[in-house]
Amino acid sequence: MSMVKHEKTAPRDAPLSETTFIGWLQKNLFSSWINTILTIISIYIIYSVSKSLLIWGVLDAVWVAENRRECFAISKHGACWAGVLIWFDNIFYGRFPRDQIWRVNLGGLLLVLWMAPLWLPRVKDKIFIGLSTVFLYPFLAGYLFAGGDKGIFMQVMTTGAIVCLIGNTVHSILGMTSGRSLPEYLIAVLGKEKASDGNQRNTLLAILAVAYVVVYALQMGWTVMAVPWSKWGGMHLTLVISGIGITSALPGGIILALGRRSRLPVIRVLSVSFIEIFRSVPLITVLFMATTMFPLFMPEGFVLNKLVQVIIAVCLFSACYMAETVRAGLQAIPKGQYEAAHTIGLGYWGMMAFVVMPQALKHMIPNIVGSFIGLLKDTTLVSIIGLFDLLGMLRAISQDIPWRGLHHEPLIFGAALFFVICFAMSKYSRHLEVKLSAGEKH
Amino acid sequence: MAIDGAGKTVATLKPKEKFDFFHDERVRSVAYQILTACVVGWLAWYLISNTAHNLQVRGMNTGFGFLSATAGFDTDFKLIEYKPGVGTYGRIFLIGCLNTLLVSFFAIIFSTVLGFAVGVLRLSSNWLVARLALAYVEIVRNTPLLLQIIFWYVGVFALLPRVKNSLDLSAGAEVAFLNNRGLYTAWPVPDDLFWMTIVAFLAAVVGVFVLRRWAHKRQDETGKQFPIWSASIALLIVLPYLVYLASGSTLNWDVPTLQGFNFAGGAALPPAFLALLVALVSYHAAHLAEAVRAGILSVEKGQTEAALAIGLRPKKAISLIIIPQAMRAIVPPMISLWMNVVKNSSLAIAIGYSDVVALFMQTALNQAGYAVEMVGMTMAFYMFISLSISGVLNIYNKRVQLEER
Amino acid sequence: MKPNSFVLSVAAVVAMSFAGATVATAKTTLEIVKERGHLRCQVGPASPGFYNLDAKGNWYGSDVSICQAVAAAIFGSKTKLEIQSVSSQVRFTALANGESDMLSRTATWTLLRDTQLGLDFTAVNFYDGQGFMVPKDSGITSAMQLKGATVCVLTGTTTELNLADFSRVNNMNIKPVTFEDSNVRNDTYLQGGCDALTNDKSGLASNKAAFPNPGDHIVLPETISKEPLAPAVRQGDAQWFDIVKWTVYTLINAEELGVNKANVDKMRSTSTNASVRRMLGVEGNLNEGLGLSKDWAYNIIKEVGNYGEIYEAYMGGGKLGIGISRAGSANDLWTKGGLMYAPPFR
Repeated sequence: MSMVKHEKTAPRDAPLSETTFIGWLQKNLFSSWINTILTIISIYIIYSVSKSLLIWGVLDAVWVAENRRECFAISKHGACWAGVLIWFDNIFYGRFPRDQIWRVNLGGLLLVLWMAPLWLPRVKDKIFIGLSTVFLYPFLAGYLFAGGDKGIFMQVMTTGAIVCLIGNTVHSILGMTSGRSLPEYLIAVLGKEKASDGNQRNTLLAILAVAYVVVYALQMGWTVMAVPWSKWGGMHLTLVISGIGITSALPGGIILALGRRSRLPVIRVLSVSFIEIFRSVPLITVLFMATTMFPLFMPEGFVLNKLVQVIIAVCLFSACYMAETVRAGLQAIPKGQYEAAHTIGLGYWGMMAFVVMPQALKHMIPNIVGSFIGLLKDTTLVSIIGLFDLLGMLRAISQDIPWRGLHHEPLIFGAALFFVICFAMSKYSRHLEVKLSAGEKH
Repeated sequence: MAIDGAGKTVATLKPKEKFDFFHDERVRSVAYQILTACVVGWLAWYLISNTAHNLQVRGMNTGFGFLSATAGFDTDFKLIEYKPGVGTYGRIFLIGCLNTLLVSFFAIIFSTVLGFAVGVLRLSSNWLVARLALAYVEIVRNTPLLLQIIFWYVGVFALLPRVKNSLDLSAGAEVAFLNNRGLYTAWPVPDDLFWMTIVAFLAAVVGVFVLRRWAHKRQDETGKQFPIWSASIALLIVLPYLVYLASGSTLNWDVPTLQGFNFAGGAALPPAFLALLVALVSYHAAHLAEAVRAGILSVEKGQTEAALAIGLRPKKAISLIIIPQAMRAIVPPMISLWMNVVKNSSLAIAIGYSDVVALFMQTALNQAGYAVEMVGMTMAFYMFISLSISGVLNIYNKRVQLEER
Repeated sequence: MKPNSFVLSVAAVVAMSFAGATVATAKTTLEIVKERGHLRCQVGPASPGFYNLDAKGNWYGSDVSICQAVAAAIFGSKTKLEIQSVSSQVRFTALANGESDMLSRTATWTLLRDTQLGLDFTAVNFYDGQGFMVPKDSGITSAMQLKGATVCVLTGTTTELNLADFSRVNNMNIKPVTFEDSNVRNDTYLQGGCDALTNDKSGLASNKAAFPNPGDHIVLPETISKEPLAPAVRQGDAQWFDIVKWTVYTLINAEELGVNKANVDKMRSTSTNASVRRMLGVEGNLNEGLGLSKDWAYNIIKEVGNYGEIYEAYMGGGKLGIGISRAGSANDLWTKGGLMYAPPFR
């Protein structure tokens, strides 16, 4: 008796659930009676929420009106978006002089230009571009936003930033077109490929020096009108505060994290207590401390304005959170890496700077983006201190006489704006996470 | 000294260790530390002396004497007795702390439960449910909590019916009401003999622990299982109830009734409390849901398969194999979320819930003006709570690590 | 590296890059302001009638006009002004620190504030008082009927304390519900979350005007507190104190003398009234004591108008006003039965 089947089994059709829409529905929505009930409840929730939102926010909404009374007159129960639209400039640029708004836009554009190469595949030296964004861009943007008389320090820094920006851009274009880096290109143009390393380096430094001097001379004649901090506001201020917070948190966080892992007890204890103190209290108490106690800390006659007080508070706060992110990144580095670095004769700082940190930073990028999202959301608290950040501006609409009492619409608009920004960033950080961890497995 | 192959002793090369004061590791580390200590000490002294000088120059009051001064303002929600003009600022601080702890405590419990539920729903096989759970998580995680708190207050709790048309939550029994001034429920008023019931309950708790140990031991020795859950619940309910009956019915209920403008009697929770609670719960549950999902996904599929292969039933496999492993990944983020709940409850200030920040650091500071002391005390309170919670985390981490070998 | 040296360096860098740091020496406030080229005047986060932002990002309101008047007195132009806004918790410290030169925001002049916070109140520019608003259909006509009621109140001001005092004195057991945001408070009140709303009466009027149905609410007749609002300056600079005080007096005197924005040029050249001539700098040298130019008062009126004009624009029935009637109130001129009385220009 043979158990062997001799004729071939006919291929079965693909299961219904994989081919037809009905099949998909059956598999994913109505597979059991519990699932069916859940599906029906879900559909009901989606229906009722979207229906009322649609009617209130779109169908019955008023888009153009002079004031809130007019909105009421047109539609008593619909949203009054007209107020939000009229306040558009305030919401995004704060009280920035209207004829100077191009400076804010230019600042944003420069940031995009500066950071874009980080996403381009063929560009080399991305670490340098990233570092220059953190260390030089803030000065250029700072001058664009604050304006006024450039001190010698700002002259030096903005020149550096401009030179670096030009270099970055040329470098990236070269990278995209020819795959060469800027120094390689310059050497090739001057025909010095065969020269010694020292000669090449000196040539490049000379070019850099010339470029620096030229730009320095050019920028001396360039000044923009001073805009005091009290005119900053809206989305711009929110981004400035959280941007400064996150950029200064990086070096601060690295130092604190290294301090926490230090073998020297005094440094370790100080770092730990500093980190734990700021991590264990809410941001709002830190902000209150900054605004009530910082002025008392300063020597008599030395005045910090409110924005600086708030920014220092945000920096301290975010540095301590960043320290924990960095620590987690450092812990992910296998011990062998430290030992290997010691073996090749690197000291503590050499080991950290050339071996450990670059690897740890790569692990940390998604978390850093996550911290930035958190910080962006947390900075809404500065409106409680009285600054006109995005939320402060949105709340001010309801106090403006023509729009008195209009506050649901601005808040919903603000929530939507935050959602778009934060959601995009969190999606991106997740994408990075996947990409980086995929690289890890090779 | 070492011995070479020929049996001769060879002097091992010992590097000449010259003591160089400036390049010696130990000297340097001590120097670094002294330097750091000096700089920090100097900075602290500098800041403190500046502060003292500034306070003096500006004629601002200092010291903690204000804590025993009477406060003139009133608050709408307090767990302890307080009267304006009689109660002190110290008492105001206490009221604020208790209110913060109360809302945090409930928010932690509910957000943990909801977070686990949503985390599981995120993995639901129902496409729509999984998507809906995802939408909830993404919306809540990507908007500022401050806006969400205002939304819950203005958009939900302020829209509840007015006092005169309160919702009767007890379906006609008139012991629990919900309106836009809060939640009113009957509240037990224990009389003299009620302590016996409490003692019985505590005894039952101890009994449960003893029972569990005994059941574990018996299972280890004989392999027999004991229905520990049903036995514990029965013990916890039956014993106190019997004592309660035996001691004579000694519990009265204070029932809320509508008098004049408001309900009087019973226990009342203001809408600000409810809105803050719901906002905190939904916000942190969404964060926890992600941690739970990641935790469950972090347990390899092979673990389930192996558990089933050794003959465990699916329910046992989940409770004995999957959950304990997933918990190891879930608990650390969960506890740091608990810390966040406590910290974020400070946003109550936006809707006027009398937590420690709103009551002490805002109102009291405005009235009395002891900025340094009041901000310091508030920060110290949060530090104490957070450090206690992170202490729990450290203990747990140690335990998990021990079990890990 | 040490954590705290990092703090200091961040502080230094941030401070430098914002050019926000100024080291004051023994100069007078007027010298500092003139050197800087503009006046720093502190208001609060928008409060209708007193200080508001418009859609173009400009400040307007009666307290803002005081700031503009001081700027005009010093520089001859109301635009040489930087308006700062800080929340009420830190308003006095921000002035005491020197972050701003003067405070022109709804700050009630009280003994404690005048004597213990290192500042001086100059001259009252608005007399306010706390009152109650209730829905008309509640049938309440007097604050005394609010026994056991729930009352919505803003935190962080004297309002809360006044309410508690009122409740205690009259044994009324009023339940306060406190808010940080006036919109949330108004929503709660409109939804019936409280039986009454308490605030300064100017605030009540402006809130009422913003309700969907203003006619459904009434302001009760009782005024439970005195709230004289006045600009404040740092203690210890008598000249600066005088400048701000006399700016307010100029506004009041100008109204009394019938000088306004439109006719000030004509008055300067044609008026025969000695008071007007002295005020506008045609006669005498009254400016010397203040350290200002001869036409300082002229500039004030030319740039911002007189007290009555400001009131009409922002407090009264103007397009941006909150609609509080002035006739017969404490804010009317003394000649019309009010309390607005300024010492003479002699």
